[in-house]
Amino acid sequence: MISSRRRPTAMISRLGRQEGELIDRSRRLSFTFNGVEHRGFDGDTIVSALMAEGERIFSRSFKYHRPRSVLSATFHDPGCIVQVGDEPNVRAAHRRLRDGMAVEAQTGWPSLRYDVGAANQLVGRFIGAGFYYKTFIKPQRLWPTYEKVLQRFAAGGRVQASSPHGTYDKRYAHPDVLVAGGGPAGMAAALGAADAGANVILVEEEYELGGHLRFGGSEDLVALRELRDEVGAHAGIEVMTNSVVTGRYDDNWVAVLQRELPQVAERLVKARAKTLVVASGLIERPYVFEGNDLPGVMLSTAARRLVNLYAVKPGQQAVVFAANESGQAAAADLDRVGVEVLKVVDPASGGELVRALGRGQLEQVELGDGSIVDCDLLVTAVGWTAPTLLVNMAGDRPRYDERAARFVPGGALPDTVLATGGIVGDGPLQALVAHGRATGTAAAHRALGRADSIDIPELEPAPHPALFRARTHGIVDYSEDVYSKDLVAAAREGYDSVELLKRYTTATMGPSQGKLETINTVAVLAEATGRSIEETGTTVWRPPYAPISLGALAGRILEPVRYSPMQPWHDSHGAKPIVAGQWIRPEHYGDAAAEVRNVRENVGIIDVSPLGKLDLRGPDVSKLLNFVYVNKWSKLDVGSVRYGVMCGEDGVVIDDGVTGRLAADHYFMSTTSSGAQAVHEWVENWLQTSFPSWQVHVTSMVSAYASINIAGPRSRELLGRLVPDVDLSPESFSYMQVRTGTIAGVPGCHMWRIGFTGELSFEIHVPAGYGLYVWERLMSDGKDLGVGPFGLEAQRVMRLEKGHFIVGQDTDGVTQALSAGLDWLVKLDKEDFAGKPELVWQHERGDGMRLVGLQPSDTHLVPAEASQIVSPSGAIEGRITSSRFSPTIGRSICLGLVSARLAVAGTVVTVKLPDGRHVPATVMEHHAHFDPEGSRLRG
Amino acid sequence: MWRNFELEKSYDVVIIGAGVHGLATAYYLAANHGISKVAVVDKGYVGGGGSGRNTAILRSNYLTPEGVRFYDRSVQLYRTLAADLNFNVMFAPRGHLTLAHNDSSLRTMRWRAEVNKLQGVDSEVITPEEIKRLVPFMDVSDDTRYPIIGALYHPPGGIIRHDAVNWGYARAGDRLGVQIHQNTEVTGIRTEKGRVSGVSTNRGEIGAPIVLNCTAGWASLVSAMAGVKLPIITHPLQAAVTEPVKMFLDAVVVSGSLHVYVSQTDRGELVFGASTDPYASYSMRGSLEFTEELASHVLELMPSIAKMRVLRQWAGLCDITPDFSPIMGITEVEGFLVDVGWGTYGFKAGPAAAEAMAELVATGRTPQLIAAFDLARFAEGRLASERGAAAVGH
Ligand SMILES: Cc1cc2nc3c(=O)[nH]c(=O)nc-3n(C[C@H](O)[C@H](O)[C@H](O)COP(=O)(O)OP(=O)(O)OC[C@H]3O[C@@H](n4cnc5c(N)ncnc54)[C@H](O)[C@@H]3O)c2cc1C
Repeated sequence: MISSRRRPTAMISRLGRQEGELIDRSRRLSFTFNGVEHRGFDGDTIVSALMAEGERIFSRSFKYHRPRSVLSATFHDPGCIVQVGDEPNVRAAHRRLRDGMAVEAQTGWPSLRYDVGAANQLVGRFIGAGFYYKTFIKPQRLWPTYEKVLQRFAAGGRVQASSPHGTYDKRYAHPDVLVAGGGPAGMAAALGAADAGANVILVEEEYELGGHLRFGGSEDLVALRELRDEVGAHAGIEVMTNSVVTGRYDDNWVAVLQRELPQVAERLVKARAKTLVVASGLIERPYVFEGNDLPGVMLSTAARRLVNLYAVKPGQQAVVFAANESGQAAAADLDRVGVEVLKVVDPASGGELVRALGRGQLEQVELGDGSIVDCDLLVTAVGWTAPTLLVNMAGDRPRYDERAARFVPGGALPDTVLATGGIVGDGPLQALVAHGRATGTAAAHRALGRADSIDIPELEPAPHPALFRARTHGIVDYSEDVYSKDLVAAAREGYDSVELLKRYTTATMGPSQGKLETINTVAVLAEATGRSIEETGTTVWRPPYAPISLGALAGRILEPVRYSPMQPWHDSHGAKPIVAGQWIRPEHYGDAAAEVRNVRENVGIIDVSPLGKLDLRGPDVSKLLNFVYVNKWSKLDVGSVRYGVMCGEDGVVIDDGVTGRLAADHYFMSTTSSGAQAVHEWVENWLQTSFPSWQVHVTSMVSAYASINIAGPRSRELLGRLVPDVDLSPESFSYMQVRTGTIAGVPGCHMWRIGFTGELSFEIHVPAGYGLYVWERLMSDGKDLGVGPFGLEAQRVMRLEKGHFIVGQDTDGVTQALSAGLDWLVKLDKEDFAGKPELVWQHERGDGMRLVGLQPSDTHLVPAEASQIVSPSGAIEGRITSSRFSPTIGRSICLGLVSARLAVAGTVVTVKLPDGRHVPATVMEHHAHFDPEGSRLRG
Repeated sequence: MWRNFELEKSYDVVIIGAGVHGLATAYYLAANHGISKVAVVDKGYVGGGGSGRNTAILRSNYLTPEGVRFYDRSVQLYRTLAADLNFNVMFAPRGHLTLAHNDSSLRTMRWRAEVNKLQGVDSEVITPEEIKRLVPFMDVSDDTRYPIIGALYHPPGGIIRHDAVNWGYARAGDRLGVQIHQNTEVTGIRTEKGRVSGVSTNRGEIGAPIVLNCTAGWASLVSAMAGVKLPIITHPLQAAVTEPVKMFLDAVVVSGSLHVYVSQTDRGELVFGASTDPYASYSMRGSLEFTEELASHVLELMPSIAKMRVLRQWAGLCDITPDFSPIMGITEVEGFLVDVGWGTYGFKAGPAAAEAMAELVATGRTPQLIAAFDLARFAEGRLASERGAAAVGH
């Protein structure tokens, strides 16, 4: 299928030395293409090297599997996308050749690997746009089969599960002026700005500065050298080549992707540019005619690039369809290097291109006069597209300039964004440079806050014939295989706005993102609907300007891990780590049940540093507490601690914790570990939006203090050994009180008498730098008391024995406070608090779920958490939210949410286990399964 | 496809918004109830709102019986939609995986699985090894920052071609006499004595005894024109798509902890989404930060795809209610109905919501399926979160 009769097999088409060539003939590189050894020079692109060795076909088209070759010879060339090693979708007309590269064609080439029957059937159905929607409908059950076949058509390369992540990074930059585009106008703008004192970043997509000057004649090359030398010598300009500005976000937040750096694959530079100069030049657009995708048909700039930059001869005999100077210049270049230019067809003098003919590659061209010319190269030059993405992202909408037959910036740019060069207008080199320089100077002045106005010379788009489609139909979107006749048909079907048309036909949706295709899509639609191009309008360019790798976007993945100051001790004492949000914590130190027993019998210590801790100061703290908690806070004595629950505005429990009053205007709030940040935001949100007049200062103390809970009958004795200045006796330091004092010589420690485990316990908050020291002292000074560490698992068991719920486990996103069994805490007579209206309603209705203690009849059966509680008919009546085997009372214990009517002590409910078994469990009077009176805690 | 018409003086029903909800309601009005003097008006083009910008994930593994029942009806309708509309909507039930990275999310997955099983919805908790089998590119090792410790697997979940759904309904409605008016912006809603009487548009006045608001992200603005206040805040939601590569991901993968979800289309592109932007806005611009965060989270799940490239990013608007549930039904203005509050989950709901809304318009009675989602609930303290639509993501 690929080897056409007249394919010039392996004809070497490297030319002699060209004045502006980029290749270094002294450095030969070798690489493979589809497994076959090839050679090229340093400075070649993959495609130029292959072409020099006679290769012409680099991919096959998506739907019809047509051979594709060079079209634009730029990054955006839709026919030159290949796999290199494990990297898919490499732009081979842009990517520099490296020694040892393994290049492969992507599109199922050279053979159709799938089942031929299915393929033929499908190809038969690829008869027009929107075919997907209109076929494979019935019988519906066959769609999945068709789908699998369709998927094999997917364009694009391969990813491999074994690919390494690679190295990427990011950089922040703060240039005064950032210039996007390093052609003559961009270079001049950078110089203008730098001369005016600005520091400048100049970004160029190609591997070297110069834009179209690079493939121009001697004069252009002289001018290029001068500009490039001047830029290179200017200390105020940082040049980034092989880099692309991918987007301009709000406030000139400019994203630049740098490719192929020495140490990193790609780098994302995030620049806050004071001013942005868009100098992204012009993109040559293809012409729509029958056969316009045959290998051998290319744009004038492509031919000029191949000849002048890479010394590659693109054909032997050429026809040039030239509606502008670029076409004429291409003809001259071709002639100069010995391509036989059979005909230069000029539409201005009535010349017409009708179609290109050939099997698998260009063989003949049919012209308007009916003549047929045998040739292997057809060069078209029919006009330009201004890539306006960056100005669009700054709020500008493109406007169609009928005289110039192209869309241009609409003129609605903010002060911080300027444009120069081809995107603005056309002119001789001197005009472009003058405009660029003045624009650069103006950009610098704006960036530096200077008031002097700069005269920017006029730069107007030059008149250009409006040539979009010949009298024949051809390809509009090369990557998507969309023909102009498909667009016409779709418009007739009613997809007659650009947005609908592009979605329906997928024109402009492929890898080149409409850079080559949009204008022709619009033109064909305009023609089909009898509207003007202006009325038809264009589509919105969506970022990024060029595709950007996930690796570069991610950079080095910095996911912080938080450890408590006691982590080294945990590590060296066999702690099993568990991920708890940002934190890594000890789950247990080998035997959670033993840890439980030790706390119940002796004393244990647990690292609770991740607890949320907010320092609250100011005269209005009690107002704040009254508002965010469901209970009352006005009368909390200094030295006292109170438990509180917070609800969202929907009355749903969002956090709980204790807050103590350290001094008249000074409180200390603790929150759950997982809720630390959310509560901080919640509190700040109320203060800043609803109560700005309240005087409250909120400071997060999470990492300022290490926190340890000392629990067990011997905890008082243990802590007492280390605390000289606070009387820990029950008479002077009773349950729910707070003191500040010295622990093991460390002053300024807070001590709370509270307990989650149900034992006598003290929670201490120690300045973080002393956390490890105090922990070690507790361990060493308490040896004779049997002190031991305990982890999260033991704590979970003990809190369940005590019936303390965990927000988010025993409650969920819809559990209102009364459902959590907090009737005793919620004070509906308070004037107002977050969630009150909802809780009033819940109180009146008395419905919803209720959290209850549950004990399975089978004492050794621990129902999995999330097991459902069901009615005889199978309806859901609730679920088990927490379950464990209690080593203390020697049976299985649970908390669960059940329908209000079942929440009566003694009710036997049915629990459906995940394995399908149904088992009975009894609703208990208390949440607590152990010491419900709390005598141990208060002792 | 569908035709263009001059505006008529009046219609039996005017539907504002040519997204899936508006278009499907028009279709069901005509198809199920014979009411076809219906105009669907949109300020832009068909599907230019959320319905053409979403990531098209369908699933029914919700958390509460009411939620499951509602979304299950929608998935059922989607399953036969291609045949019903004679338009291939390309429903691909790839299977839907919600990853758990810690104990508590695994517990939630178990909970959803147990509820779903009782409701007859296919979903189960699977192990990292099973995840690896379904998605070979997933890093299920335990030396990652947020190790994957399990997932909720919902085989009937999948993706659909959103445009096809919108166009399919539009086309089928058009055939039944519904008029679709693009580029027709509603600028006012006329009422007389507490009753709606029509709408004003940039193309002229239209009379109608029934006006239905299906404008999602713009819903509160449009309702305000009728004097109806909605408890809705609009947030942008962003999405992005990569260049195509050969199929390698045959499931929809969601990670709540990493705020990311990803699927691969038949064309080979990866489609990504995340959670809504944290601020209220009507802007539909994508941000750089979004793609950065997205990429780092995706690469935590599948580190070997670092070389894939993001091709396009965009944003849409989501109309978020306080209880993350939609608002469907009547308002205090007689004849002015709403089908809004669809947040980040409304595409999959389109068929079921529209079928019910059409029934409401035709019969004047609110169908049981949507009764819990009425507007009055906010004033009466009956938040629907317990009837649980969709607080759990897309
Ligand atoms: C990025 C993203 C991803 C999403 N992913 C999913 C997903 O995976 N699964 C899922 O189920 N849902 C998802 N959603 C949500 C889903 O897209 C929406 O809920 C759904 O499309 C809403 O449909 P709609 O018909 O109600 O509104 P839309 O489709 O938004 O239509 C509203 C229409 O109203 C028009 N309009 C507004 N004001 C006026 C006026 N004054 N006059 C006339 N017309 C007006 C607009 O132009 C628009 O076309 C996602 C949303 C986004 C943005």
